[in-house]
Amino acid sequence: MSESSGHVLTASGVKFAYRPGHNVLDGVDLAAAAGRVVCVLGANGSGKTTLLGCLLGQFRPNSGRIELDGRAIGSYSPRERARLMAYVPQQPAVAFAFTAAEIVLTGRLSHTGILGLTSRQDRQIGRAAMEMTGTLDFADRMLDELSGGEAQCVMIARALAQQPSVLLLDEPTSHLDIANQLKIYRMMRRLADDWEMAVVCVSHDINLASRFADELVLMRRGRVVASGAVEQIIDREILAETYGVQIDLIESPGRDGPIVQAR
Amino acid sequence: MTQVPVTSSHAVTGRKLLLWLAWLSLATAVTAVLCSLVGQYHLTWKTWYFRLCRAAVAAEVGMALAVAGLALQALLRNPLAEPYILGISSGAGVGVLCGLALAAHLALPRWATTPALAMVGGLATAVVVYAIAHRRGRLDPYVLLLAGVMINVFNGALILVILQFTQPTETIHFIGWGMGKVPEWIWSEPILLIVSAAAVLGAWGILFTKGAVFNALGLGDEVASSTGVSVQSLRIQTFVVVSLMTAMAVALAGPIGFLGLIVPHVCRMLLGPDHRLLVIVSGFGGAMFLMAADTLCRLIGMWANTAELPVGVITALAGGPFFIYLLRTRRGGGIQ
Repeated sequence: MSESSGHVLTASGVKFAYRPGHNVLDGVDLAAAAGRVVCVLGANGSGKTTLLGCLLGQFRPNSGRIELDGRAIGSYSPRERARLMAYVPQQPAVAFAFTAAEIVLTGRLSHTGILGLTSRQDRQIGRAAMEMTGTLDFADRMLDELSGGEAQCVMIARALAQQPSVLLLDEPTSHLDIANQLKIYRMMRRLADDWEMAVVCVSHDINLASRFADELVLMRRGRVVASGAVEQIIDREILAETYGVQIDLIESPGRDGPIVQAR
Repeated sequence: MTQVPVTSSHAVTGRKLLLWLAWLSLATAVTAVLCSLVGQYHLTWKTWYFRLCRAAVAAEVGMALAVAGLALQALLRNPLAEPYILGISSGAGVGVLCGLALAAHLALPRWATTPALAMVGGLATAVVVYAIAHRRGRLDPYVLLLAGVMINVFNGALILVILQFTQPTETIHFIGWGMGKVPEWIWSEPILLIVSAAAVLGAWGILFTKGAVFNALGLGDEVASSTGVSVQSLRIQTFVVVSLMTAMAVALAGPIGFLGLIVPHVCRMLLGPDHRLLVIVSGFGGAMFLMAADTLCRLIGMWANTAELPVGVITALAGGPFFIYLLRTRRGGGIQ
């Protein structure tokens, strides 16, 4: 899983509208390279989730390009794409009573044959993904018997079972308590550092994002307000422009950067 | 990596599927023979052959409806979906009645018109229901069920209109068909039996390759798509295949309700939610269920010394309460 260094996901000048004339994305640029965590932040309705949909190849941008390893995302077949890029939804949900292990093994779909039968190797990869995310202990339990944090870890394990080079997460911690939020962000960091993945995470938690990400992308009304290294972005004026409120930066001992707080 | 796989019980292996396929084929064959043997009359080779043909067509119809129900439930992530409830059966019914009327007028053989027009009717209804519930690349499960209810009413009215213009002598035949009845005359139309059986088995084979994809789809369209599923193309393929299976079943036996609801549910309760296994098991389960129910109808008619009860009556009497039970016990009917 770690030999996949050098993968990169880029978006340039991406515009997208659900209805003509109402651009939800209005020229967005983003780059995520192997071993880097990029967090996309912004006010509600700024187009973060739509951007994720475009990056995943689910929406086709009206203009601009999205490329994975230098190739347009639309030119990949769904199976090819799934082997390179995986997705973790905001809230884990499953329609039928699958166990955690069964859910994780659905991540192997793009690696299996026509009947979708998993081989011994597939199951080993699934197991490794569950070990990494600490979900092996409840492999036999149903998703709705798990706590929110446990269920989200199962969804991350499922994404890892795809053996992706790029991992996209849509507000993965929005339903979780602070301990589980920390756990998920630590996991993202490890996936970038140890597994050489490019991690793109849409988030609302600017403090966790600034603590664990390499780069931040701030969005407002479909545009990128600012993007770059965390130190450059955690700036009172940039943040005020992004969220439309006054921002205080509070220096905290023992922490690298300041804590961001809306006034 | 030399770790142990995630426990073996999670693995639906090719071996496991083959074993299920083998023993369920055997069980279905045994059921067919048993069903054809019961009855009070002295059995001749000829009556046995008639009854075997009838068991075969019951098996085919049961398989088609059960697998169609399973596929719709998986596709729509909705345990209440079923060809009858979504109106696909009644659409196929309109097609069948048009076919019968056409066959009478154009002197075409019955097998040439009814299954084809049933397919057209079923598919047209599926397209309409789908189009109503489809917004911004998503299917609204509530709208879908309600659209099914309304389309059923509409198709029911169309059927009444067609019956209005039918000879009264034929109407009585249509009413029996309209309740869902396994055709006892099938021995006289072997081509119809063979063509429809081939279509149902072919469709079943296609759905068999979708089992793992249906599993992934249970996690939502976005997750499934990111796992390598072409959700849109899967929906279209499944609707076409389901309409085909439903059309064959309805052309032969009329709209038998709730079988597509009960059988997949019981299989899921017994064996868990893995669709790779469920496609096989509910196919055979539907076959055995309808053979048994049809035999029961035959026996009741024999004991009560009346005309046979249409098998659709039995499935509706069992399925109606079962539907309500599911609605009450699964939170929101399992609708997400």
